[in-house]
Amino acid sequence: MSEQGEKIGANEERKWPTKTEFTPEMLEEMEKLLPGTLNRVVTASLSGCIHCGMCSDACHYSVSIPDDKTLVPAYKADRFRKWYKSRYDWIAQVFPSFVGAKKLDKELADEMYDKLWGGCTMCRRCTFNCPMGVDYGMMVRAARSIMQKVGRVPQHLQDTVDTHYNAGNNMAVPQDEFVETIEWIEEELQDEEGCKNFKIPVDKKGAQYFLTLNPREPKYYPLTIQATAKVLNAAGVDFTISSRYWDLTNYALFNGNDPDAKQFALWQAEDVQRLECEYLLAGECGHGFRALRWELPNWVGGVPFKITSVMELMAKLVLEGRIKTDKSVWDGHRATYHDSCNIARSGGVTEEPRIVIRAAIEDFVEMEHNRYDSYCCGGGGGALAMPEFTPRRLAAGKIKADEIKATGADICLQSCHNCTDQLKEIIEHYHVNAKVMNLAELLAPALVL
Amino acid sequence: MENNVSHALYILQEPVQYMALSFMALMYIIKIRQMLKKPIPPEKAELKGDRVVGALESLTNVLKPWSMESTRNNMFFYAEFMIFHIAVALTIGATFFIPLVPSLMTPAVSKVFMLFMGLAFLIGLRRIHRRLTVPEMKIISSPDDYFAISLMTVFFAVGFVAMWMWISGSPDTGWMWIFFLLTTFFLLYVPFSKISHYILYPFGRVNFGRTFGGRGVIHRDVKKQTWNPK
Repeated sequence: MSEQGEKIGANEERKWPTKTEFTPEMLEEMEKLLPGTLNRVVTASLSGCIHCGMCSDACHYSVSIPDDKTLVPAYKADRFRKWYKSRYDWIAQVFPSFVGAKKLDKELADEMYDKLWGGCTMCRRCTFNCPMGVDYGMMVRAARSIMQKVGRVPQHLQDTVDTHYNAGNNMAVPQDEFVETIEWIEEELQDEEGCKNFKIPVDKKGAQYFLTLNPREPKYYPLTIQATAKVLNAAGVDFTISSRYWDLTNYALFNGNDPDAKQFALWQAEDVQRLECEYLLAGECGHGFRALRWELPNWVGGVPFKITSVMELMAKLVLEGRIKTDKSVWDGHRATYHDSCNIARSGGVTEEPRIVIRAAIEDFVEMEHNRYDSYCCGGGGGALAMPEFTPRRLAAGKIKADEIKATGADICLQSCHNCTDQLKEIIEHYHVNAKVMNLAELLAPALVL
Repeated sequence: MENNVSHALYILQEPVQYMALSFMALMYIIKIRQMLKKPIPPEKAELKGDRVVGALESLTNVLKPWSMESTRNNMFFYAEFMIFHIAVALTIGATFFIPLVPSLMTPAVSKVFMLFMGLAFLIGLRRIHRRLTVPEMKIISSPDDYFAISLMTVFFAVGFVAMWMWISGSPDTGWMWIFFLLTTFFLLYVPFSKISHYILYPFGRVNFGRTFGGRGVIHRDVKKQTWNPK
């Protein structure tokens, strides 16, 4: 057991000042901030768009809400691009309207806010359909980072980041409460048949895997922790959960604040090293997986441990025969799988979840668009932390709801908590008869112990 | 074929073109240098694939219509794109071959060039119509977009007629003058317009390829499984 009662999170409380309107002073500050965001990827993306329109059918917003043409990716990106061109395009210096350039004014800034916070989940499906390789995800994040720095950021999203900054996890779950919750889950797990000796070690030094969780799990979905722990125990995996920095989320990935993103990553990295674990193990969380696996090493300048995910580990356990399953527990059910954007397109993990699924259930059907072609459910990019855009978010989920319905599945599997909430909402909104589950919840009941 | 033209047309076809080409090259060097000065985001994560191979694969994306849903589902559109861009290359090539290696431009070869120019002209008209009538296109189009496609369409038409008259034994015609004046204009104007997208294409594709190649998305090295504790 770790020392408890210590301060988790930053030493000094912070509440990032947010603004509800753009002011001339903010616009002036944004002009100063722009050059610092222009790395090669963002610059190539801002200057490389040829307005071919190939992205328009790639975006869940523009496909689900066809009457609103302002949701076409190129239009949304142009809210940022117009400003960029006014500063850097050669022709724009003498004839700005010819190339669609526009100086940053309140009207353009308001459009940027509306479209780049509330009209894009940074899913990169458009990027994968762009002949020029425009990276919308990076470009939109760069725009968000500028707006965030001057305080024009959706309040609830910023509050989530501030909470993480102040408390060490984005739901301010106190350390003692978290440990008690894990202990309670362990007891519940041990009450399950065949699980009497199963453990959920907390702060075990030298464990091979440092398991991380989404704060929604101890708060609202403890059964997912129980399911994951059951699978890991069944396979004899040597893992632990930290009592300190167990939260794998990083909402600074969404709000564009790199110093915060780096801080959250640093806490996690230091905690892994504190417990001397070989692997940082990302739990089933979309942006959390990507933030740990692909962004954390860049934010902190490299790490001395390996990083993987529960999805990949469970697949390995299946392939190595370390767990045995009985698919009959799911007889009569049909499952489909939603490829979360940060896991598939931005994360490179597509086959491992399917290995797990096929080990647990017989009747598995792919959605029409799957793997790297999967449509975003609409819950990414921090969308669920921006209640002011809820109606549009629900409308944008129509294509995904339709695809789930078309499979005839009554179980919709996924490995992301933002997807969990969004899928549940669109399933209800569009009257789809399906239950949302993550992979551990599918696999755990099928285990032969 | 021979290129028996007046001295004035010779000046336009050669020295003027070389000066305009030099200007264009200079502008491109400046553009490329500005891009190369931009920092590349670091990549310190343990890779699942090869960033270099990913970049190379991504660069050939334009030749692989099956690799993107947007082209896979629009093969006719992709075919038009290929014909259009082959015509661009051939038309530009013609501006060199006609004055410098006219013997290469036999009637048969010239007719192939003209076929592509003619098709590209028709495709250009379709593209203009698309940009004017499809709402998703209209909303994202600027005057530069309309001007670029219109200019290219006119260029193909003029080139077609100029070549037709050239292979008919009339190398020094008003059409040939307009063709080379347009070429000169292009060389001076293109570095500033969206037509120069081919200079930015490698940057966007290499960025994509390095990022998603390294993550095992477009080039997966199955030996590099991060969950393997070895």
